[in-house]
Amino acid sequence: MEHFGRRGLRVGAAGLAAALAITGCSGQALEGNNNTTAEGGQVTLKVNFWGDMGLDKLKAKYEAANPNVKIVLNTGEYNAQHEDLQKKLVAGSGAPDISAVDEGFIVQFRSQADQFVNLTDKGAGALESKYLPWKWQASKSTSGQQIGLGTDVGGLAMCYRTDLFKAAGLPTDRESVSKLWPTWDAFLETGKTYTSKSNKKFLDSGTNLFNPVLSQQPVGFYNEQEQLQMDGGPKVAFDIATKALDAGISANLASFQPNWDQGFTKDQFAVLACPAWMLGHIQKTAPDQAGKWDIATIPGGGGNWGGSWWTIPKQGKNVDAAYKFVEWLIQPEQQIEVFKTVGNLPSQPALYKDPAVLDYKKEFFTNAPTGQIFASTAENLKPQYLGKKNGPTRVAVENVINRVGQGGIKSADAWAEAVKEAEKAAKS
Amino acid sequence: MSTRLLSRAPQDTPGTWKSYLGLTAILLVSAFPVYWMFVIATSSDEAVMKSPPSVVPGDQFLANLREVFGMQDVYFTASLINSLIVALAVTASTLFFCSLAGFAFAKLRFKGNNILMFVVILTLTVPNQLGVVALYILMGKLGWNGTLLAVIAPGLVSAFGVFYMRQFIGHAIPDELVEAARIDGALTLRIYWTVVVPAIRPALAVLGLLTFVATWNDFQWPLITLNGTDFPTSMVALSDLASGNYVIYRRVLAGAFVATVPLVILLLVGGRQLVRGIMEGALK
Amino acid sequence: MSLTDVRAVRTEEPKPAPPNGAKFWLYRFDTKTVPYLLIAPFFILFAIFGLFPLIFNAVVSLRHWRLDDPTLTGWAGMENFTKLVDDSDFWDSLLNTFGIFILSTVPQLLIALMLANLLNRKLRGATFWRIGVLLPYVTPVAASTLVFAVFFSRDYGLANWFLSLVGFGEEQPLDWRASTWSSWMAIAVMVNWKWIGYNALLYLSAMQAIPKDVYEAAAVDGAGPWRQLWKITVPMIQPVVLFTVILSTIGGLQLFNEPMLFDENPALANGGYDHQWRTIAQLIYKVGWRDLDLGYAAAMSWALFLIILVVAAVNAIATRRLGGGK
Repeated sequence: MEHFGRRGLRVGAAGLAAALAITGCSGQALEGNNNTTAEGGQVTLKVNFWGDMGLDKLKAKYEAANPNVKIVLNTGEYNAQHEDLQKKLVAGSGAPDISAVDEGFIVQFRSQADQFVNLTDKGAGALESKYLPWKWQASKSTSGQQIGLGTDVGGLAMCYRTDLFKAAGLPTDRESVSKLWPTWDAFLETGKTYTSKSNKKFLDSGTNLFNPVLSQQPVGFYNEQEQLQMDGGPKVAFDIATKALDAGISANLASFQPNWDQGFTKDQFAVLACPAWMLGHIQKTAPDQAGKWDIATIPGGGGNWGGSWWTIPKQGKNVDAAYKFVEWLIQPEQQIEVFKTVGNLPSQPALYKDPAVLDYKKEFFTNAPTGQIFASTAENLKPQYLGKKNGPTRVAVENVINRVGQGGIKSADAWAEAVKEAEKAAKS
Repeated sequence: MSTRLLSRAPQDTPGTWKSYLGLTAILLVSAFPVYWMFVIATSSDEAVMKSPPSVVPGDQFLANLREVFGMQDVYFTASLINSLIVALAVTASTLFFCSLAGFAFAKLRFKGNNILMFVVILTLTVPNQLGVVALYILMGKLGWNGTLLAVIAPGLVSAFGVFYMRQFIGHAIPDELVEAARIDGALTLRIYWTVVVPAIRPALAVLGLLTFVATWNDFQWPLITLNGTDFPTSMVALSDLASGNYVIYRRVLAGAFVATVPLVILLLVGGRQLVRGIMEGALK
Repeated sequence: MSLTDVRAVRTEEPKPAPPNGAKFWLYRFDTKTVPYLLIAPFFILFAIFGLFPLIFNAVVSLRHWRLDDPTLTGWAGMENFTKLVDDSDFWDSLLNTFGIFILSTVPQLLIALMLANLLNRKLRGATFWRIGVLLPYVTPVAASTLVFAVFFSRDYGLANWFLSLVGFGEEQPLDWRASTWSSWMAIAVMVNWKWIGYNALLYLSAMQAIPKDVYEAAAVDGAGPWRQLWKITVPMIQPVVLFTVILSTIGGLQLFNEPMLFDENPALANGGYDHQWRTIAQLIYKVGWRDLDLGYAAAMSWALFLIILVVAAVNAIATRRLGGGK
């Protein structure tokens, strides 16, 4: 015991020295480096996003070409990244140099355009003609500040497992499969057939039905006056989702969670609504399933789910270097690279005609021509307005759908509950 | 027969096979989650999804560790160092300030001694978690949010530490010893250093261990102030590992295991002191 | 040495040393001022980082304080509190908090008592057993909760595998997170697991302080070990039982880590899709740092503080009554 006491003291003394060092001298070191450090012309750019945006290779390439720039990639949880950005903007420090913002949050952030670098000041105006007009408009504030450069659009298609379809006696080639489901009702019927023949679930979750259907509606949760419009599009999407849950064709796995990922490898579902960015997730989660997936058209025709912008918070210390990197990122060469690695579809229509995109065939997805499939859905898009509170509202309604899936609430009562929760979220 | 046995106090009654069986069962239950953490931390994805589940470690530990430490958005290596810095700073400061105050309360005469000590005991009962909103605003004004200072500062002193030190010093050091030193002309600080500190090493060890464990494991406040920064503590890094679009159990638990190991070592080395500290009425 | 043992310090004046000149002033300074300097760091640091936030919290709760809308400031009066009264989220969370609190406190203290009783024998390797039961206490709660989160998962969880051994959930595995009761139970298991050993040691130390002749006197009526525990030991350690009840109340009503990390997606601070296991502390986090409404979160903190005070007092009185009173 005596022995230990002495040792404890020694540890304590060392710690005290550390404490003094921290509180006294090196407070600077602790506070700095929140986002950037500039030492001897060296610039570090921190880039926040979620999932996988296909930047790993590009980072190496850019760093090699610009030895004074170091890129730190910081992926996180989708909602948390946006909430975190919001907190840091208000705090006035700590935001990343570059932050991805999803369409679901862009309205919230463009209404705080003062917090972001106005990219037209950096010469982004010349890029306008490259973009889908709605993509360019969506990240512009009412007073005309451009806060972001579009990176991808979601588009919409339906991914499916050819091997599982075959085992259930369904067609497997993408034309025939697309013909199975011109409408969502037909899609549900296919699901019932699949489940009865294979004794397996057809869908991953109700929410991954709700979201694509909602995105096909002319009006989403909010109209442009920021009024909650639950009785329009959300009701349509909600009904289709709960119908699927009642039919017992959903595996009820919460999307983007570990059990969902396990569901891929354990064949727990056979279809998955696929915006272009979903391709990357499938590939990464179930690398062994190469050649077992294919892509058909989405029921109900077209639509867009997701898609992001790169923004540069004003508080960063290296906004010029950040802009240079972003501008480089959205150049055709890089956008095509991202498209090929993770599937994200560029938001620049010229690229849809580019042979590198148009003729591209994705081996993992049974050589599906992903360029053609997604480009055609993206070009004819009528974008939906997503309100300031779109993020929390979506989470609230998804919660109710998940409850139906878990059996916690009857689908008959669920709609009233969803309306209640959405109204609460709108006010939060 | 049984009456004769029971005439002894329980602590003089030898344990029967039943007591050992009961203790073994509880020990197994206590150890199982930590063991299973290790099992999954060493497994492949396939093994995690097996039924019946595997209960023996796999051979993927190093591969999983490499993944955890390789995730550049989680800052896992840095988080371990940060946790160590925070825990050491808080521990050292608690030991120093609390033993000073404990010494004053136990051995020095000054006006308001008893009242002030009563205030210390009152503050023991204040659940300071409830001030997190205001603490966050305060740290924001100081510009400390997102830095380790925000986590260290609230832990620098503890009411329990003062109380514990006062009790220990009161018992362990005879008043005569202090008086004698004073008559020799020693000033208060000198008495603290030459008389008190050597005599309270065991208590410092106990308090130090308790503080270190509590600080290392703290989650809520570090999550609030450090989440989304480059300076997570290991607990915040763990919650980072467990959220996001690619959460993989074997990776999460490999991280959890690494963050647990230092404390298991601490338990092995300082278990006696921890036991003693808690039996002397330590607070969480 | 325990909380209840706060004895007064001797107060007689010491014989003053012979004073002269500068030495006198030094002596005066050393005896009159230095004691305050020794306790000052504690009080100053505590005032800044402990007391001030608590008081300032009250101010914040009376104001608009939004992180997403810095322009919305100013006094809100009682607005945050009136909102609280009508907020079903708050009352639901309160119910969850209490439900989980009871499910975790009662078994925790009972099992701890029995464990302490087992440890309170003449044992081979006594220290080994005592250290062993502390393993959950030192295990970081974030780490252990993540293990339990996997343990209680629906499709490949160990808990469901155990259940399947006894023939339960063969065709439809139990979704622990889906219903209120099962999620409460899962969380209660985590809390119990963590704190049983710690409380057992608290009880053990009190048990060992019981004078041995108490048992010898009571032996005549031939009480079995079980009766001995309930009739002699427990009443004798009642103050410590009271102490653990208060500690568990304070801790249990602020429960945050377990419900937070039990969520499939912890970043949402959902506490289940129906918020069926969201505790107050978690709701405060959600309101403050996801909805970014600090004023309202502060009002909730104050409400929780008052609730804790009331419940701790009620518990203290009840435990005293149940223990036979003194």
